[in-house]
Amino acid sequence: MPGLLQMRCQLTVQDRPHLALGLEGSANKLGVGVIRHELDGSATVLSNVRHTYITPPGEGFQPRDTALHHRHWALNVINDSLRTAGVSVHALDCICYTKGPGMGAPLQSVALVARTISLLYDKPLIGVNHCIGHIEMGREITGAKNPIVLYVSGGNTQVIAYSRQCYRIFGETLDIAVGNCLDRFARVINLSNDPSPGYNIEQEAKRGKRLVTLPYATKGMDVSLSGILTSVEALAYDKRFRQDGKPKGPEDTDIITPADLCFSLQETVFAMLVEITERAMAHVGSKEVLIVGGVGCNERLQEMMGIMAKERNGQVFATDERFCIDNGIMIAQAGLLAFRCGITTPLAKSTCTQRYRTDQVEVLWRS
Amino acid sequence: MATSIGSSSGPPSHLSPSLVLLQSPTCKPISQGAEARVFKTYLSPPLPTAAAGFNAASPPQVSPILLKHRFKKAYRHEILDTALTKARVAGEARALLKCLRSGVNVPSILMVDAQEGMLGLEWIDGHSVRQLLPGGEEEEDDDPVTADSGEDPLTPYCIDADTITQLIGAQLAKLHKADIVHGDLTTSNMMVRRGRAGTEVVLIDFGLSFTSTLVEDKAVDLYVLERAFASTHPDSEPMFAKVLESYGKGLGQKEWGVVNKRLDEVRLRGRKRSMVG
Repeated sequence: MPGLLQMRCQLTVQDRPHLALGLEGSANKLGVGVIRHELDGSATVLSNVRHTYITPPGEGFQPRDTALHHRHWALNVINDSLRTAGVSVHALDCICYTKGPGMGAPLQSVALVARTISLLYDKPLIGVNHCIGHIEMGREITGAKNPIVLYVSGGNTQVIAYSRQCYRIFGETLDIAVGNCLDRFARVINLSNDPSPGYNIEQEAKRGKRLVTLPYATKGMDVSLSGILTSVEALAYDKRFRQDGKPKGPEDTDIITPADLCFSLQETVFAMLVEITERAMAHVGSKEVLIVGGVGCNERLQEMMGIMAKERNGQVFATDERFCIDNGIMIAQAGLLAFRCGITTPLAKSTCTQRYRTDQVEVLWRS
Repeated sequence: MATSIGSSSGPPSHLSPSLVLLQSPTCKPISQGAEARVFKTYLSPPLPTAAAGFNAASPPQVSPILLKHRFKKAYRHEILDTALTKARVAGEARALLKCLRSGVNVPSILMVDAQEGMLGLEWIDGHSVRQLLPGGEEEEDDDPVTADSGEDPLTPYCIDADTITQLIGAQLAKLHKADIVHGDLTTSNMMVRRGRAGTEVVLIDFGLSFTSTLVEDKAVDLYVLERAFASTHPDSEPMFAKVLESYGKGLGQKEWGVVNKRLDEVRLRGRKRSMVG
């Protein structure tokens, strides 16, 4: 009968400010943050610490090594975060951790840490959906009320609209995520993974001039990216391609540089993303867009989205790398919202999962 | 199909003639869809009805036309934008023509200007399925069908939601039988109007359509619609099931079996792609 029940916001009125610790480690970022929900309903970020596992150029991060990294740094990062926040573990109301989606091994290492803290200090545990974390943090920081959400990161590409206590997926990638597409291409042309491959592609793309034709693959509300990656990779082995970006001589004019490829890849892929977002906006009749996820801090994407929104008399909300890229604070935010609706994860159920869709979560804290 | 090439033959302005249409005083913007602005206008200026001459004899009814202008998208790179716009306008016109030949209810084509991204279509006088089915009213609708009286929007069409879903299914079956894939099936892209043969469902917006004989493409087409139903019309599963039922009937047992099986696979695919990382 859920359809007949009224959808009411189930957030309890606070009698005191609440504190939550968030632990995130679904990919190569280990993030820990402390958030406080004030009596007036606002949230204060007390600390937001992150440590990223960076691999050499040409290599991606493997689950096993990433998990090792998280295990190695967990205590340092947590201590750091608590110290910055000036909060003792005893004062926390709950421990939030990423339940999924993400890479199995890193998720498990962080979940283990969360369980341990929870048992040691007798604090309730809350397993959080990573995507919901991104959305809730984006909403909190930007103040967007009911936006269409474009969630773009290394593992996810989704256009999301909220309706009846559920973040519904309007469109998504049919194969690989956009961040994955960019990262893998960065490996092909040997770009550095520091601070992130996506960032380096963005910088490289600024110098690109020539737009090479790549497939443009939108399928209704969905996009397909793997074919684009294949064709842009193929161009990197084309005889017109110059790894150093310089012509061989004065006659050598018909060349493709790494910068051109980065530029073309970004232009094509982002145009597709903006297009499906626009389609969702037109369909839902919404005027707000919120961009979250690691790729969301790409300024070219934000710029394109801004132009699109302006054409529709709408508005774009985006955050910077502190909140776009995976972080602990977003897990704390979403977890604390759930906690205040009376949701906790019993120890026996404090598992994690690689597959956990955004629309599987009941969003009790919204009406 | 008359293709007016975007060159400037009219001396006074360097605008293409199809863009001049947009500047006519009778041209009214209707909406801004996902990728185009839609206008309602008249090809000839509306006759001053009460004025000279025409008064007694019934004046020739000037019916409005719909202009669909794929304006330049500033966010896209110019080369990419030009190529996409051209391909889509031409593709849309082609698909519409094919639909018309195959007896699918679609607006007829009046004008194509691929260079400028302009398409002139028959004006469909009716409401979108989205507005007529429960839950689909837009929040900031300029023209709320459900007038505040709370009257059922379906009344003027003398049909119920069941019949609409049936009509949708029948149209989709015809469409797919002609090997046309719509590419963007949503309830906003279907209109209900009162035609000569009773109330009919008209499919619109073929901007993403293409020709394909593949079961895969047809199944994906249906899947897109299923998701659109689910996201706009709460608790729509029974409604969509009706659409499929009527679609299956229209397509024939054998064909439908194949498409249905693939549709199940596609659904699974959407689920499976529940992200990694």
